Amino acid sequence: MYELKSVHKRYGLSKVALRKIDLTVRDREFLVIYGPAGAGKSTILNILAGIARPTSGDVLRDGESIMHVPPEKRDAAMAFENYALYSHISVGENLAFPLHARGMNRADIDQRVKRISGILGIGHLLDRRPGFLSGGQRQRVALGRAIIRPADIYLLDEPVGHLDAKLRHKIRAELKALAEDLSATVVFTTTSSREALALGDRVAVLNSGRIEQIGTPADLYHRPANAFVASFVGDPPMSFISVEPRRGGDRVAFVTPDGMPVAALATDAVAGLRDEPGSTIQVGFRSNEVRLAEAGDPGTLRGRVDVIENLGYVKIALVGIGSDQVSVSFPTGKRLSVGETVAIAFPRDAVHLFQNARAIAHAAPSA
Amino acid sequence: MLQRDSSFAKEALRYGLIVLVLGFIVFPIFWMIVTSFKPAADIMVSPPRFLFTPTLENYYHAIYDKNFLFYIKNTLFISVASTILVVVAGSLAAYSFARYNVGDGHILFFILSTKMFPAIAVILPYFLIFRDIGKTDAGRFLGIGLDQPGALIISYTMFNLPFAIWLLVSFFQDIPRELEHSARLDGLSRLKVLRKVVFPLAAPGIAVTGVFTLIFCWNEFLFAYILTRKAASTVTVGVESFFTLQGILWGPVAAAATISVLPMMVFVLAMQRYMVRGLTFGAVRG
Repeated sequence: MYELKSVHKRYGLSKVALRKIDLTVRDREFLVIYGPAGAGKSTILNILAGIARPTSGDVLRDGESIMHVPPEKRDAAMAFENYALYSHISVGENLAFPLHARGMNRADIDQRVKRISGILGIGHLLDRRPGFLSGGQRQRVALGRAIIRPADIYLLDEPVGHLDAKLRHKIRAELKALAEDLSATVVFTTTSSREALALGDRVAVLNSGRIEQIGTPADLYHRPANAFVASFVGDPPMSFISVEPRRGGDRVAFVTPDGMPVAALATDAVAGLRDEPGSTIQVGFRSNEVRLAEAGDPGTLRGRVDVIENLGYVKIALVGIGSDQVSVSFPTGKRLSVGETVAIAFPRDAVHLFQNARAIAHAAPSA
Repeated sequence: MLQRDSSFAKEALRYGLIVLVLGFIVFPIFWMIVTSFKPAADIMVSPPRFLFTPTLENYYHAIYDKNFLFYIKNTLFISVASTILVVVAGSLAAYSFARYNVGDGHILFFILSTKMFPAIAVILPYFLIFRDIGKTDAGRFLGIGLDQPGALIISYTMFNLPFAIWLLVSFFQDIPRELEHSARLDGLSRLKVLRKVVFPLAAPGIAVTGVFTLIFCWNEFLFAYILTRKAASTVTVGVESFFTLQGILWGPVAAAATISVLPMMVFVLAMQRYMVRGLTFGAVRG
């Protein structure tokens, strides 16, 4: 088990990469660190690997500080985002490098190189130099060099980020299977929501050097801790509508500034809601939690279709309502065109409520 | 048709220029070699003679009468020793400048600035320093003094080191840090990373630096002329001894020059394959 305790990392005088974060990597878990570019994902891996030292804070392994342990003694294997291949030796020698360095015998090395290059589909490239490979091939070599040897922890920095969609899907699946097969502890960074949700046993959402939320993919998707996580996890991201609360009886109604009702929740479900003048209150929806209204639906909101995205199995319409934009999924068979005015039906009780970007309530649909 | 004519003219012009440039560069070397085989009577005649009876008397004179191989031996020892010192010290210094930015660029610039004054400006202080060091026991023991190889080795190292460092820094900067990080995670210690990853990748730069330094040492005249008399004289000074009271012995001079050019030619040709840039090509996402 690895722990980062209040780890702060500053580069130079002003650039702060990590702001006093606490993070635990459990044994044999597949932890995904998910965040936008520049969030500090690579810095976390570098600190775990021993390449970078925290400005303050501590790094523990099984309860003992490993701050003083140099990278070569840490038993961590890492795939770098920019590959970092040894360009003066062949692909085969690149793969064998970490095994040679640890004094493994020739026969075992050959067998491992063969197995890993087979999984990654680079078996035919073993005699080539990295300079003669495509970007995707180089990335697979970099990944192969990381996973070829048994290690206490595997640190994979966007290892499939530059592959084409099909290969990415395949390697992703192989990676997950391999990690389970080896019972390996893996820390994996990505900028893809899909990858984070598909791979992670747990996912840590990182933003500007802070951990916004850490939890299972289902937690992040259904119970985002704040508006950042809600808008960053899931594709399309959650949409928001600014509302004002109207308390009445045992329910609180949420209406748009124009007075259109959007949702109504039981008072005890929104116990966290504070009456602060000037605070921003937003209702959030997943695109599949709202639908285009049909005749007779009560309390719908009208808006103009700005963009239509066709995902193949479903279409997504971005509908402008006031100053907000809501994504709504609808069946591909339905005809709709940009500029059309549509009505949107809200599930009323199945909504996510945020006050000043912090989650107040996640109401499940009533049975 | 017009197209073809113009492209033919272009090609003709291209090859014409190549032949012209080659003529400028190769002809003097050719003439030197030819002259080294000419009998004395055929050398300084007008018009120049292309046909003659070749002779080895010039080589005989240079090697046996003037003992020219002695100068070759001196030069070889001094140049190689100085080059090794420059390459080893230069690589280590350049690596630390490239990786740790020692002195924030100011020390690096200061080092280069020592190249900016002419050699003649320091030759007198050098002469005095080596004369005095040569009188001490340590100076005698280490062979550092006037007319001793140590004096020239130190002088040449001093003179080449700034440029070598400057040249090597950019080669080391081109090696991505991640390669070193990766190698350390793969289980290599700091020094092993240098040996197995950094230096092999910087090989082209190290080769270029070695070639430049060796050529400089081999051709240097001023320091060798002032700091040596006989025992530690190099080829450039050796050739100068062919300028006698009886006149310049052009035949033996040409023979000596031919002998002294050969080792450099062989060396540069041998190093050529290491001097290709772009060994780090493909190491990181471009």
